Amino acid sequence: MTTLNITINGRAYGPVDVRDALTLNDFLREYLGLTGTKFGCGAAQCLSCGVIVDSPDGTSYVSPTCVVSAASFDGKAIRTVEGHAKNGELSTLQKAFIEHFSFQCGYCTAGFLNESQVLLERLEKKRVARGDLEKTITEALDGHLCRCTGYIKYHEAVRDVILAEPGRYLLAKAD
Amino acid sequence: MKSETRIKCLVAVAALLMSMLSAFAIDQMQSDKLAAPESFSSIGDTTARSAAIFTELGKVLTHARCVNCHPAGDRPRQGDQRRLHQPPVTRGADGHGLETLRCPICHQKANFEPGRMPGHPEWHLAPREMAWEGKTVAEICVQIKDRERNGGRSPEDLVHHIGEDTLVGWAWEPGFGRQPAPGTQKQARALVEAWVKTGAACPN
Repeated sequence: MTTLNITINGRAYGPVDVRDALTLNDFLREYLGLTGTKFGCGAAQCLSCGVIVDSPDGTSYVSPTCVVSAASFDGKAIRTVEGHAKNGELSTLQKAFIEHFSFQCGYCTAGFLNESQVLLERLEKKRVARGDLEKTITEALDGHLCRCTGYIKYHEAVRDVILAEPGRYLLAKAD
Repeated sequence: MKSETRIKCLVAVAALLMSMLSAFAIDQMQSDKLAAPESFSSIGDTTARSAAIFTELGKVLTHARCVNCHPAGDRPRQGDQRRLHQPPVTRGADGHGLETLRCPICHQKANFEPGRMPGHPEWHLAPREMAWEGKTVAEICVQIKDRERNGGRSPEDLVHHIGEDTLVGWAWEPGFGRQPAPGTQKQARALVEAWVKTGAACPN
């Protein structure tokens, strides 16, 4: 058993004793009822179970939750799909996903949303040239599997969010 | 069919199955073992003995547990079938994965059996120049002696690397569903040591 303290969407959880064999996915879904994080392949191959992990150095990354122990997240801060909307209003990314009809069944959406959010935050810190944008989005979303809409609609939604605020995410031509 | 005949048939089928399983088990045991350096003492010629010892070590070096992370390309392989790694990660700038998908995100400090996820604190790909995938034991032998393609290691360093490095050692404790490398790390070390002492000759 491990005593787990974890911050999820800005809220502290714990201390709670968890079995060392408990996955983070089961902890989120079964212990906390945060079922927005899905269980897909169970082998870190589809990333539908991905959550955002916020590192102390200010960087973030998406981690699968199906193949990692909850105990290994002791002391860490994560964000799940439930943390994107604020005061009942969907985030810009969420709205863009809906406008583009990016998903049908929605099983992969939480993973794509979290990955796209990490990308936006990364671009805010390190902007890219417009010419590198398509490749940057493709590489960021690579690894997430979707069996309904064929990826392009997620890609277009993320691109639209970025192009709506080019000064925030893209290098100026003179840069 | 009479009950007596039926029983005879069942016994015959059972015996056939047992013999097949036994043969499979013996075959597995043979490929899972490593011969000790002393077992090559009957080879009088030192160079030939050295090459034979390396050939034995080659069972480890060409095993999926080693080759999967010594790939010819930028993408690791996985499983005993050596299929391309999913999700589609590549080595990245430092061999520890892409900026957006680093190896330790999934591969944590130790194997996590509930998720069937192998792990080690230093999980990463061998450098591109140390690729073994698709090479013969003889080719790997030449490569492993070349400091430009072995991480700058001396022969003694190789003994330490193969014999004591804990990431290398993972190959013998790979967790559920993965066949361990043949023998033990200690036996592999003994082979490398004997190979170096006999002149580090390579098989043809």
